[in-house]
Amino acid sequence: MRMNILYVEDNKINAMVMDKMLSKSNSNVIIAENGSQALKVVKEKALDLILVDINLGLNQMDGCELLQRFRKLDILNSIPVFAVTAYAMPGDEQRFINLGFDKYFSKPVNFDKLLSVISTIEIN
Amino acid sequence: MPFTLKQFGILTEKTLLFLFIMKKDGQVVAFNNRCKVLFPNECERIKGKYITDFIIDEDVPIFMKAISKLSIDNPIINESFTFPLSRIGVLSLKFDFTLHNDLVYVAGIDTTEEYKEHRALITISKLTKTGAWYFDVINKEMYWTKGCYLIKELDPDTPMTRDLGASFYPKESRERVENYLSTLIEGKKPYEYTEKIITKKGNEKWVKVVAQPIIYRNEVVYVNGTIADVTDRHNYIEKLKYNEEIKHLALKGIQSGLFDYKIEENKIFYSRDFKRMLDLPTDEDYFTEETYRDMIHPEDLNNALQRKEDALKNNDQHYYNHYRLRDKNGDYKHYEVHGFRIKNENGKTIRMIGNLINVHQKKLNEKIIEENKKRLQAMVNNGMDYIVLLNTKGEILMTDKDSIKTIKRDFNVDPTETTSLFIDVMPVNFKPSFADNFNEALKGNTVKKEIERITYDGTNQWLETKYIPILDDDSKVDSVLITFHDITEEKLARLAIKQAHIKEQELSDLKSNILSNLSHEIRTPLNGIIAISALLQNEVDAEERNKLTGYLQESQDRLFETLNTLGSFNEVESIQKNLNYSKQDINYVVETSYREYRHIAKKKKIDYTLDLDESSPQASIDEKFFKTALNNIIHNAIKYTSEGSVRIKIKTKRSKKNIYIYIIDTGIGIDKSNYQKIFDPFVQESIGLSRKYEGTGIGLSVSKRYIEILGGKIKVKSKLGKGTEFIIIIPKCV
Repeated sequence: MRMNILYVEDNKINAMVMDKMLSKSNSNVIIAENGSQALKVVKEKALDLILVDINLGLNQMDGCELLQRFRKLDILNSIPVFAVTAYAMPGDEQRFINLGFDKYFSKPVNFDKLLSVISTIEIN
Repeated sequence: MPFTLKQFGILTEKTLLFLFIMKKDGQVVAFNNRCKVLFPNECERIKGKYITDFIIDEDVPIFMKAISKLSIDNPIINESFTFPLSRIGVLSLKFDFTLHNDLVYVAGIDTTEEYKEHRALITISKLTKTGAWYFDVINKEMYWTKGCYLIKELDPDTPMTRDLGASFYPKESRERVENYLSTLIEGKKPYEYTEKIITKKGNEKWVKVVAQPIIYRNEVVYVNGTIADVTDRHNYIEKLKYNEEIKHLALKGIQSGLFDYKIEENKIFYSRDFKRMLDLPTDEDYFTEETYRDMIHPEDLNNALQRKEDALKNNDQHYYNHYRLRDKNGDYKHYEVHGFRIKNENGKTIRMIGNLINVHQKKLNEKIIEENKKRLQAMVNNGMDYIVLLNTKGEILMTDKDSIKTIKRDFNVDPTETTSLFIDVMPVNFKPSFADNFNEALKGNTVKKEIERITYDGTNQWLETKYIPILDDDSKVDSVLITFHDITEEKLARLAIKQAHIKEQELSDLKSNILSNLSHEIRTPLNGIIAISALLQNEVDAEERNKLTGYLQESQDRLFETLNTLGSFNEVESIQKNLNYSKQDINYVVETSYREYRHIAKKKKIDYTLDLDESSPQASIDEKFFKTALNNIIHNAIKYTSEGSVRIKIKTKRSKKNIYIYIIDTGIGIDKSNYQKIFDPFVQESIGLSRKYEGTGIGLSVSKRYIEILGGKIKVKSKLGKGTEFIIIIPKCV
């Protein structure tokens, strides 16, 4: 069984890198460039994991707002959502966990760690 | 051997102490006769009443607190309370409370004189000069307000240090004073002291210093304090002590005595008390005139004898004389003699009978009143405070030079020439509160109020006003002393300290934002660089490798861009030396910048236009720096505009001096409160987590600095959500 992972990321290079890295682990990565694309994907696809960048660019809903939208759709009950962000000051991790993200990964991403966490997630 | 109950009863009635027994809640159970004065007209019904029904209001909470502290572990407490008494005024008693078998045994002594003195001191303390200071413990910086400099008579421009501050204390107290501050910083406890200083001009003064620690994360970071010139008060205390002694001695003496002088026999008779006072033997009835002369003050003797001779010559039956007489302690006191003469059939005076009156207290009072008047006038003239003495009609009786000046200047009235009503010379908005306070003072109450006024030069002044009723001998209000104590320095100092703390918090927040933004801007490209490098190692497909290398380059470029902006920010400092001025056609320079961003604007589908000025204005600029500044603003305008337009216009208007370059966008806009902040380095309109834009946020601050270095200005107008208009103003070459 391949795992379906949604990655919400506006930076194309970082999106591409994630795709390449996770493909090695028998995962199918779907990229959404912004929040509204992501909301469309979650309604259409059966997902196992969602990775969300926080700063999603000019005039766009950010990762935190997107998480609130997920909460309204009850997605948080069934699918884990991780924050993957370059906000990595002391206190940032705690802040994102408090907002409701299941896990927090800072950029530059430690892919070994990310992959080992993903391997523990059960496939729906 | 214990007393019997009866003996105890007798003792309690004989003592000068106020004794009573009460329950722990203050309910009176029993009291001795002496207490009757405390419980007027209600002696019979007093049992069952509470002490709090009899003491003045401000002492009630103190009393409640004192008795609540009484316990088996803490059975004895000392505290003073004041009872208002009809006709007499107040009676202040110092009590010992002793708890025994759930009853409180109370013994009090009369300390009214101390209480009055204390009140007088409180009044005087309000008439002192003050300043505020603070000491920054971490940076070891000392800050003084103007008041501090005035007290030390030091030039207010002198930079202040802790050591310089300490140098005003004489050697013997300097170490002690230094220790107060060190102990406060270590012990985190406030302190106050009164010490002598020698001012810059060499004058000796007494100052009272009060200091409070500001504790942050369990460390003392600031020490806030005030310093007050209490020289007048200090001298007043000394004077007061002296006056009290004299009064006591005078009261001990006897007021008057009889004499009977038989001239031919040279025999003088004195009444008993008088003999005792003048230390003459009481078992002898008559004394000679020589004995009497001996007791007269040598300075007064000739005049006294002359007056006596004159009296004997004239026909007036009345005899009057005055001189100082030595008493048994060897002290001289003033006496007046009022008598009459008895003549024989030849008209010769043979006998003088009369009264010898001790007028020492009267003389002393006259002297004290005179001195007090002088002292008040001195205080009134030399103090920094305004003082006005009004009669009961509200007319100005006396005021100080400063107040006269203020009144003359502000109200065109000369209070020394007319009997001006004080209410006529004050601003309209003060009149109602003045009337209230003045009427309250006429009832005999002291009123304290803080007021704010605008002085003639438009600055704010805070005054602490006090209305103090002055009583005459019959305890009627004779006049009202109004003091205006300038507390502006204190207020401003407190405000400045508060603002300094806020500013510091802002700086600290800004620092966090700088780090957060920089960190984000560096981590984002770094994520790509690191991951792509890892991918490249395992990638064998040549085409794929090429693609990855391209991405790697892009990520690296973004990282370099961030680092370069940072570099140019730090560069500003050293720019001035490397400026390369030349005359440039501004139309041309702006157009080249405009072209550089055309492709980005086109990509974003923004309407991007340029309007040149017809006169082709020229300016002397360093082209490189000018363009960096301009480009930053154009770049920003496009970056923050997702639809609509970015328009650039060059105009010279009719101004002969300046060229105006407008960069007008229809982007997100800036909130008015952030106009100034956007030019601070590292700040973006949205900061922290809610920040929606890439970039370090230092571009605008660089633009502002560059343009200012080139002699120009940047202005900004904006409406949140509507757009922003930046105007670069640069001097024109003529």
